[in-house]
Formats: sequence, C-alpha cells, structure tokens
Amino acid sequence: MPDDAPSLDDALVGEAVLGVYRQMFAALARDSGAVVDDPELVDVAETLLAAFADAGEDGLSREQMRYVCRRYPTETFENRLRVLKGLGAVREVFPKPNQLRYRASFTSVVGLMFVRRMMLDGGQSEMHRLLALEQLNVADPRMTPAQARDGADGLARAFRLWSVELLTLTNGTIEELREQAPKLWGTEEIMQRAERLHGAILRRWPQLDRTCTDLRAAIYAYGDASRRAAARLSDSAGTTRNLTLLPPETWRTFARTASRDELAAVLDAFVFDAPAPWHEPSAIVTAVEDGPKATPPRPAPPRPATPDPGLSADTGGDAAATERLREVAEQVLRGRDRVAVEDVLDQDWTTARRVLADLTSAHAHPELPYRLTWSDGMAARPQGSPTWVSPGVFERTAP
Amino acid sequence: MTPDEHHVDPQVLARARARVLGAPSQPAADPVPPGLTAASDGDRVWLLPAWPDGATPALLEEYDTAPMPLDRAGQARRVLAAALRCCWTRPDDAPWPSGDAQVTDVLEVYAGMSRGDADLARRWATGELRRLADTGWLLVDETAGTVRTGPRTALWHEDTLASLRDLLRRLPAPPASRPEAAAP
Repeated sequence: MPDDAPSLDDALVGEAVLGVYRQMFAALARDSGAVVDDPELVDVAETLLAAFADAGEDGLSREQMRYVCRRYPTETFENRLRVLKGLGAVREVFPKPNQLRYRASFTSVVGLMFVRRMMLDGGQSEMHRLLALEQLNVADPRMTPAQARDGADGLARAFRLWSVELLTLTNGTIEELREQAPKLWGTEEIMQRAERLHGAILRRWPQLDRTCTDLRAAIYAYGDASRRAAARLSDSAGTTRNLTLLPPETWRTFARTASRDELAAVLDAFVFDAPAPWHEPSAIVTAVEDGPKATPPRPAPPRPATPDPGLSADTGGDAAATERLREVAEQVLRGRDRVAVEDVLDQDWTTARRVLADLTSAHAHPELPYRLTWSDGMAARPQGSPTWVSPGVFERTAP
Repeated sequence: MTPDEHHVDPQVLARARARVLGAPSQPAADPVPPGLTAASDGDRVWLLPAWPDGATPALLEEYDTAPMPLDRAGQARRVLAAALRCCWTRPDDAPWPSGDAQVTDVLEVYAGMSRGDADLARRWATGELRRLADTGWLLVDETAGTVRTGPRTALWHEDTLASLRDLLRRLPAPPASRPEAAAP
C-alpha cells in the first residue's frame, strides 16, 4: 500500500515530463485543452519564436511581441500569447509578478520544427531518422540494455501502428488508398535499415531476444502490409506472416475448403496426447456418495409403533359435541342467567379445569347462546384451589 | 520432410504413437519404449504414461491446476464404480487385471445406484462405458458383451484404494451373484 502511493518525487517527475510535453506542442495548442483548428495560429507562434531567437538574452517585452505580430489581429495575438504562456512556451525571464520581459522555450521551437517536418512527409522520413539515430545509439558504448530495449519497443510499436494504418487503407476505398499510401508505403530501404538495427541490437545484447522477436515480427508485419497495400488484393496471402492481413472469413473458407492433407500440414510434426482423464479412487468414492440415491433422501413421516387400529367408531359428530356443551352449560347455570366463574371452579382442580375448558368451548361455539366474560383483577388464594383466579362471569345470552 | 525424419529412432516413434493413441496394446513380447510403463495381462501389454516420482494426475489438484476437462465426471465415475463392482471380484487383490463381467450386470448395478428411469440410466451408462473404454479405464468387448478393468487402473497406488474397496463393498451386488437370481 505505501509503495503504491505516489511520492512527492514521483509527482515532480510527472510534472517535469508534462512540462516538456506542453512546451513541445504549445505551438499547436488552440487553448490549453485542444489543438489548433487554424494554421494561421501556428504561424503566430512561429513568428513569435523567431523574434525571440533574434532578441537574444534580454528577451522581449510585451510591446515588442505585439509589434512583431502586427500583421495579426489583436485578439488573435492576445489569445496566442495567453496559451503559449500557459503551456510554458513563453515565460517570464524571472518568475515574479509584474514581469515585463519574456523569453521563449527552446523545446517549443524544436517541437515546431518536428511538427513542420511531419506535415511535409507524414512520418516516413522521421522513421528514417529514428532508425539512423537508433543505429548510432546502439553503437554507442554508453548505451545500456534497458535503453536499447525501450528503443526497440518504441520502434516495434511504430511499425505495428504503421502496418495497421496501411492495412486499414488496403481494406478501404481505392481512392483513399491511392491518396494516402505513397506517404505510408515502406521502401525496401526502411526495411533493410530496421533489420540492420535489429541485428545490431541482437548481436550486442543477446538477452534482448524477446524484444527483438517483437521488433522482427513488427517489421515483417509492416513489410507484408506494405506489399499488400501495393498489390491491394493478393490471393496468395496464405504465405503471409501477418495473420490479420486476411479477414477472418478467408481463414474460415480455407478451413472449410482445404483438403485433409492441407489442413494436416498446418500442424505437421506436432504430437497431441490422446485424451486421458484421470479418475482418482477418492474421486470415484466422492462421485458415488454425492450422486443421486436410489432411495429418496426425504425420511418417511413418523408412524406410531403400535399397529394403526383404523378409524374410531366415535366420529364425534358436530351435533353430539354441541349437545354435550349445552348440557354442561345448563348444569353450571342451574336455571340462572349468570354465574360467577370462581364459584364454578370451587372444587378440585382436576374437575374444575375440565369444566373451565367446556365453558370456554361453549363460549367460543357460534351456535350456543353462552358467554364467558373476564374482568380485570386477580385474587391470589394461597390456600385455595386454584391458587389464583380472575373474576369472571358465565352468562346466557339472548338466543 | 527432411531426410532426417526417415531415420527417427523407432523407439521414439513408438512413444509418440503411444501418446497419440492413448493406451495402445501390443504383444507382450514387443519392447516397451522408454518413458512409458506397461501393464500386462499375460498375452498383451498396454503402454501407459509414466509420471516422475510416482505422482499421479491427482497431484494437479494440490497445485490448483485444472485437470483435463471431463463432461459429466460424476456420472462417468459412478459408472466406473458400477463396473468395478462387477469386475473386481476379489477386492483384496489389485484391480488389474480382472476377470470378465457381463455388461448387462454393470448396467443393472448402475441402474440400481441411480434414481429415476432405469432404461434411461442404462443408456447413459452404455455411453459412459464406451467413453471409459476409449480412455483405457475399462476393456469392453461389445460383441461378447463383457467388460473388465482397463490398464489405467494399474496406475492406482495401492495405498489410495482403501476407501474405494469400502465403497465397493457397500454397493449393491450384481444380479448374477445374488443367490436367488443365480444360474440362469
């Protein structure tokens, strides 16, 4: 966790890198968030930078800058100056408030030169220059393997992107291809240069073979792509080293229409093991124990141990039960309309609880005209039976 | 084809052939290529892979490596258990080589182990028997309708077999060995 948190040093390094980026492309910036949309804006920047170069170490004041750019409208000039200042291409001679003299950044000029060159020849000559530079670097005794790897990785990436661009063009319209391809087509010279560089890196640092393999593949892919762009539609692409050259449908068609020998030739000299699943004895035991069982896993419902006698003769008809409850109720009331429950319960508890249960049933029975009403309060009778009782009334209701 | 390929060591070719074919059999008199083990039943010898240090593919599990994918592994293993119940009649001996058992008995045992439609279970089990025979776990003679344990069972370590023997004793017996259904 503490290793992941960016330290202050990291932030400084990141800020420095960003600073270089900003200065490089300040000339192309319309505002601090976007690229110019009018070539004239770049011209303003170039005029300014040229004036700074002439001015020498004193730099230029704001009025001098405006004078140099008198061809351009005031609004454009102010806008450009603000952006260039914001991105660090033009800055105060001393970083303090109310500074009157300005100087220009060297990086921005180089960046602008680079950009102008890229506009002219679309990166191809830049690739030549990069390859030549890398070749010089590789010969340099101070070069470390890490630097060489970074350089090779960058070149491989450039070649990949280049071939992707060519490929897109190849699959696009023929007009677009005709218009763009001359800028992009690799010459044999670039291929040779790249392969020479690749050989030099590999000879000097054999441990970089993996990186070199990538670079080699990228060079080949680029070579194939440019050949293909030149031939546009070559049906002999089966020999290509760049599998993405052909659309997937073509591969599918090949797989369908090729003869058995042609298909087999693809994987000639490979040995494939026959399928050999392994059944460990413990796995067999587990499989059997986890498998569905012949007997259902749900246990049978419990049964009494004694044999079931079947249905009792006394089916307990509704009318019989009602009559019995009515009898009990009338016995308790003995002709009266209401009777206190504690009087009824004034006998031994075994009997009393049966009576109480019957009275409660009579109360709850919807057809019987009796009611059991309890009131609040509780009388504790430590010597009595039951030992506590709440006052209640069992009464006859209107039928 | 380079000229060298015509002079490949025949032993190396035999080993490659054994790997491609799974567990092929050859007459017992033929030499066993290096790097393979052999399981013999007397007349013929089956060529099987040899693993270092006595390990088995079960070791993959300890290293969290996925074993070879297997469709319906549970069903295949239950059918293998049913077949073992019928073939491996003397569980105190090694499972390989075993005597012949009737395929119908194996299907009955499997149908008795599983729930649901017995006919369907028999059909599933027939398919699994074929697959197990293809991979060398069983030797099935379809014309005679017999089955016996395959050479791969010879690769089981003796000390891993205890739980399997327990299990086979608990499984229902095949109909032929039940006293009431004996001697048809």
